Amino acid sequence: MTQALLALALGTLFAVGTFLVLRRDVVRVVWGVAIVGQGANAYLVTMGGFEGAAPVSGGTTDPLVQALVLTAIVIGFGTTALALVLTYRVHEENGTIDLEELGGTGE
Amino acid sequence: MALSVGCVVAPPLSQTAAVVALPFVGALLVPLAVRVAAERAGYAAAAVALVCLGLVTDLWRRGVHGTVSAEWIPTLDVAFALHVDGLALLISFLASGVGVLVFTYSAGYMHGEPGLAKYYAVLLAFMGSMLGVALAGDLVALFVFWELTSITSFLLIGHYSDRDSSVRAARKSLVITVAGGLFMLVGFLLLAWAAGQGGEPTYVIAALVDRAPELRATLGDVGLFVPTLLLVAVGAATKSAQVPAHIWLPDAMEAPTPVSAFLHSATMVKAGVYLVGRLRPLFLPAEASLVGAWTLVLAALGLLTMTVCAVLAVQATDVKELLAYSTASHLGLIVAGFGFAEAAGAEAGAFHVLNHAAFKAALFLVAGIVAHEAGTRRIAELSGLRHDLPITAAVATVACLSMAGLPPFAGFYSKEFLFDAAYETAHAVGGAAWLFPVVAVVGSVFTFLYSIRFAALFYGDRPDALGTVHSPPAAMLAPAVLLGGLVLAVTAAPQAFVDGLIGSTYGATVPGEAGGFSVPAPTKLSPPLVMSAITIAAGAVSYRGYGRLHDGLGGLLAARPALRANYWYDGAMASLPWLSIRTTPAVQTGLLRSYASMAVGATAVLALAGYVAAGVALPVPPGLGPGVTAAMAVVAVVAAVAAVAVVRAPSHVAGVLTLSILGSMLAVLYVLVDAPDLALTQLVVETLVLVLFLLVLHRLPAFYGEIGTARAVRDGALSLVVGATVAATVLVTTAADPNDVLATTLSERAGLPAEHGPVLVDWGGGGNVVNVVLVDFRGIDTLGEITVVAVAALAVLTLIRMRDRGETP
Repeated sequence: MTQALLALALGTLFAVGTFLVLRRDVVRVVWGVAIVGQGANAYLVTMGGFEGAAPVSGGTTDPLVQALVLTAIVIGFGTTALALVLTYRVHEENGTIDLEELGGTGE
Repeated sequence: MALSVGCVVAPPLSQTAAVVALPFVGALLVPLAVRVAAERAGYAAAAVALVCLGLVTDLWRRGVHGTVSAEWIPTLDVAFALHVDGLALLISFLASGVGVLVFTYSAGYMHGEPGLAKYYAVLLAFMGSMLGVALAGDLVALFVFWELTSITSFLLIGHYSDRDSSVRAARKSLVITVAGGLFMLVGFLLLAWAAGQGGEPTYVIAALVDRAPELRATLGDVGLFVPTLLLVAVGAATKSAQVPAHIWLPDAMEAPTPVSAFLHSATMVKAGVYLVGRLRPLFLPAEASLVGAWTLVLAALGLLTMTVCAVLAVQATDVKELLAYSTASHLGLIVAGFGFAEAAGAEAGAFHVLNHAAFKAALFLVAGIVAHEAGTRRIAELSGLRHDLPITAAVATVACLSMAGLPPFAGFYSKEFLFDAAYETAHAVGGAAWLFPVVAVVGSVFTFLYSIRFAALFYGDRPDALGTVHSPPAAMLAPAVLLGGLVLAVTAAPQAFVDGLIGSTYGATVPGEAGGFSVPAPTKLSPPLVMSAITIAAGAVSYRGYGRLHDGLGGLLAARPALRANYWYDGAMASLPWLSIRTTPAVQTGLLRSYASMAVGATAVLALAGYVAAGVALPVPPGLGPGVTAAMAVVAVVAAVAAVAVVRAPSHVAGVLTLSILGSMLAVLYVLVDAPDLALTQLVVETLVLVLFLLVLHRLPAFYGEIGTARAVRDGALSLVVGATVAATVLVTTAADPNDVLATTLSERAGLPAEHGPVLVDWGGGGNVVNVVLVDFRGIDTLGEITVVAVAALAVLTLIRMRDRGETP
């Protein structure tokens, strides 16, 4: 069955992530990507159900999902770190972290 | 492997396939032949065509008839089928027979021209494709060969690739014929779909024709009969240059003249006509009313093309332009013939395929000789050529009289059949159907006019401006003479040709007809004979005013460009880049925001639309849901609040700290759902990310990109849609009961130190099932993950430390 409250919380995470990705400030875009990643991880975990126990104590919740998410957390860390350093480099090269100034014609 | 369904002599697979395959093999060997024999390679190509002609003749002599097929793509019900019958043999005879002549002629015509290897290779490949179209017994095979003829035609029209006009003409032919081919493909798919509804799905034409009434009923029930007919008709009309797609054919005359004679008069343009004949028994019931959808579409289209293009031929100023429009006009005649439900119509179509190929290929070769020897193709500059080119003049005269439909020449008979079909249809139906015979006569008058004008190039006084005209080499003259001889042979004994081949061609286009018909001798006064008499009389009278007619039509078209289909084609082609230039800045803004909105918004809308279309009900669980405790609810709410707070954070540092709250809450959530490994990893990563952010942030400017209300509302709305999509997706997907065989298998063996522990230890040497999965069962995956992290670390190092060593200033 379902988890209505969790569904709402996950929806909020994705909504906030989307909103941040649409910002002009590169740092906020990085946050947005990180939050969407966190939301996706939590979503995968809910897919496994909550009715088991820890993977070391027998009768666990779906261990496959946990293995997947574990990988995803680490990869998410790599992505965030790289995006952050790219932001730093963008600032060094262009002297700005305003996306509208960096690309396109602005408005 | 091979199976055959036939009634007389089933076609031998190897021999039939060899007819199609030989030219392609020849095309591969051409570069070698050109290197060894230089310009004499044309004769080698002619030899290949001759072998094909021999094989086709052998099939004809043995009375082979039927379909033979080999497996091709059985999962899609596509077979490589070859079908031999009168129609297939007629087109094969034209492709290989005219091929022999054109290759011989090319050996003389292409003297001293560059790109011989390309020329002969593509021309041979074209011949193979055309033979493939003629012999294909499967719609998919037919389509493949059909498009191959389009591509080879494109290459041949653009043979002089350094000329702008050639390139434009090649592109035009490709755009029009390939676009039409795609319509046709959709039509084919609909036919196969209809076959699959009532039985075995198939693309084999003979099988489809056998089940024609059933297919017509299936398509008719869902209202797709007329659309299918139109789709197939578009393919045929673009290939056979029917109005308004006729515009590519005159431009195609940029190709070397032998190509024009071969592709754009005798063979490739016949592919569309061939398709009309081939599918005629499929769309036209034997007991059809005289003006069904088939007749309304094709007879009207054919007669319109016949008349419009005949008028355009009269205003042509160039010899090849005249012949090109005339070709489109005669193709219209054939399409109209097949379009009539009357038997005489199919007889006209079948007979005129042969007649037109003979006289038009001869005339093209004549035009090539004239252009080659007199140095000009302008009609106004040519006259009295019979003094210099007596043999050519004789060939041209015979061919032109046949083209004009004068008795007793061969063209007269096929035109009589068309008049007969048009008159009988009008007589039986009455009313607007009388337009059929009227338009047919008007078109024929113009045909008469330009035919006589072409013949007149060879008579009258020789203008002084015309320089020395050489005699053509034998290699160029002999093929023209042979084709002229063919015209005379058909003229002398039309019935013999009907009995030999045209009768069975006709039979292939009529449902339930064995074939065979008789050519009436014009002895007693019949309506078609009266129509011919009117045509000739009107033509003879108005020929005196040919000059004024020619100038008047030319002036009208120059003054009213919208009357020309080319005007619309050029407009359409010019509007494509215009459209692209207009839309690109709106789509490609260079701003991340635009791309993200489009991608995310489209995904959300598609997902929601999918749920709505599938009628998914949103399951709302009672209470918190199974397994969800109050503690988990609290943690989830705090995480959501933290996420919202990140948006409202006044500074980068405040935002990062709030982000940490979110990450930590998720770690707590993982603890609560019994996922200790996740919780540990999440905490470690969260700490690292926080440190990393703080390290970088103090070097970044305090730029926070303040936003206006309008933008906040717009982005907020999009975000809400995305959030709603995710919430709905979570509810829908977690409601399902997944097949958890794997999870159960793993869980059952998890646990330590219970009795299952040893199993897991035996499998993976560990007690924690998640760890065992990661480092053992999915070990390579984890290795990849480690690699990703390592690459990211290297990238970070490079970006920060190696700035001064790179190419950046």
